[in-house]
Amino acid sequence: MSVPSEHLFVLAAVLFAIGAAGFFLRRNLIVVLMCVELMLNAANLSFLAASRMHALAAGSPGLSLEGPTFAIFVIVVAAIEAAVGLALVIALYRNRQTVSLDALTDLKD
Amino acid sequence: MNPDIAQRILSQATLDASGPFLALALGVLVLVFLELLPALAALRQIVFLGSLAAAAWAATRTLFGPEIAAFEGTYVANSTTSWWALLFVASALIAWIFGRRYYRDEARFEGEHDILLLTAASGMVLMAGSRDLLVFFVGLETLSVPLYALSGFRRARRESVEAGLKYFVLGAFAAAIYLMGAALLYAGTGTIALAGFQERSELLETPLALTGLALIAASLFFKISVFPFHLWVPDVYQGAPSPVTTFMATGTKAAAFAFLLPLSFALPPESAGLVAAIALITMAAGNLGALVQTDMKRLLAYSGVAHAGTMLLALAGMHADPESGGASQAVLFYMAAYTFTAGGAFGLLTMLETQGGRPVTIDGLRGLARQRPGVAAALALFMLSLGGIPATGGFLGKYLVFSVAVRADMIAAAVVGVLISVVALGYYLRIIVAMYMQPEDATRPVPAESRPLSSAMALACAAMVLVLGVLPGWFLANVR
Repeated sequence: MSVPSEHLFVLAAVLFAIGAAGFFLRRNLIVVLMCVELMLNAANLSFLAASRMHALAAGSPGLSLEGPTFAIFVIVVAAIEAAVGLALVIALYRNRQTVSLDALTDLKD
Repeated sequence: MNPDIAQRILSQATLDASGPFLALALGVLVLVFLELLPALAALRQIVFLGSLAAAAWAATRTLFGPEIAAFEGTYVANSTTSWWALLFVASALIAWIFGRRYYRDEARFEGEHDILLLTAASGMVLMAGSRDLLVFFVGLETLSVPLYALSGFRRARRESVEAGLKYFVLGAFAAAIYLMGAALLYAGTGTIALAGFQERSELLETPLALTGLALIAASLFFKISVFPFHLWVPDVYQGAPSPVTTFMATGTKAAAFAFLLPLSFALPPESAGLVAAIALITMAAGNLGALVQTDMKRLLAYSGVAHAGTMLLALAGMHADPESGGASQAVLFYMAAYTFTAGGAFGLLTMLETQGGRPVTIDGLRGLARQRPGVAAALALFMLSLGGIPATGGFLGKYLVFSVAVRADMIAAAVVGVLISVVALGYYLRIIVAMYMQPEDATRPVPAESRPLSSAMALACAAMVLVLGVLPGWFLANVR
């Protein structure tokens, strides 16, 4: 039990912040998608860290079950989101020959 | 599998509780199968309607009974969730009926359209019944992902793809926020079940859990389109195909509220003032935004934001409300009235758009009362209900919500809310004036075309709006 739980949470928070920053700063849709994936995986890491933390606190070996279960569901959902998201990006490319967020300007006040 | 576990999961109670969801999910599977063989395409409509009917029937079985908990308490069926399920079925049916003959270039993909619509409806049912962060998340994504695809369904059209992408990018971000919130809440409390939060309520006060709750609330506020997370709504509602907008406007909001209500006990009581403030700002932002719109779908989108703010006011008053279940009843009634009102209004716009071949603007509605008296009358009724004129369902919904706020001693908030609602009448009446008092544009006639199904649906929506407004007694007596 060499790694303290706090370190894992800090790492997850940093990954989440990097993903969120990239989400707001980058204009390429593919990169934006990657940033969302980073945020999802930061959440996964937090789930696993929390699971380990609760198991350690209870004195039982291994993990408490909710965390890993949640993480597996998140991985599945991330794959689904990527599939639909990339399909939409392809549709955009066919429309406008670009994958930049800046091209999404038809709809506005 | 351990026979004990199998018996516990596959019991009659489980089947009863998850009946509506199972009916919709089974419908999706059969529809996918039908897509394999072109010869079976004729069965598609029967299966779609049959699946909705089966879900409605399954929901009525748990409408008056005691609460049934299934899957180790992660999913429940009670009177409230059954009413929500019925509302989702109605919402899907309205969108589907008005969507007939809407798609022209995409007509050969209508099978996919129906599958996605039904999948989204099953996700809504799952959200309303979930009592666990994981089950809710699965429901949320089962709802959201088909809607991303549906928003971009007219993929040869620029605005549809743009709407789909905007919705997807922001929706994926909101999902990530939700997950981080759930992870922090789990870290802080050691459980992901709502019942667990109730047992360990002292742990909800820790900074970790509070941050988690705030993140979850933020992502749910995105789904119900509350300030400052409402900016996507007008763009997506305008760009998405009109039948999809009909479904999004009525169903998505309802599903997120259906989970927010049982979750709200976890919010600290001190947050009530903040939630009330957000509600009022949302109402103001929605109504002021709607005042300057010319496109009807965009206008109704802003109006929907304002309505979400009104319902949030009931949520803010929930903690201090001495009448238990009052807020839940108010939101459910408000949402029911809104589903039929907005569903009918968006539906009529869909119909006019199909027939005129172009987006409907306020100017385009000029003189509609002479050309299409029935359509104009129904649209006028929906506008009056959205504006909260007495004798319509919209009025009674507003009355219930504001009385929750008053009972919770938030009189100032209620007064401001009523005043903001009066401002909203400005743009609803503008539409009625355009239809009834302004001369038509002779260069742009609205072609009349017989659409018996859509007309019947509009009539049914109008009837429901009036019934909810004039005879709400039965409904109010049976909804807790």
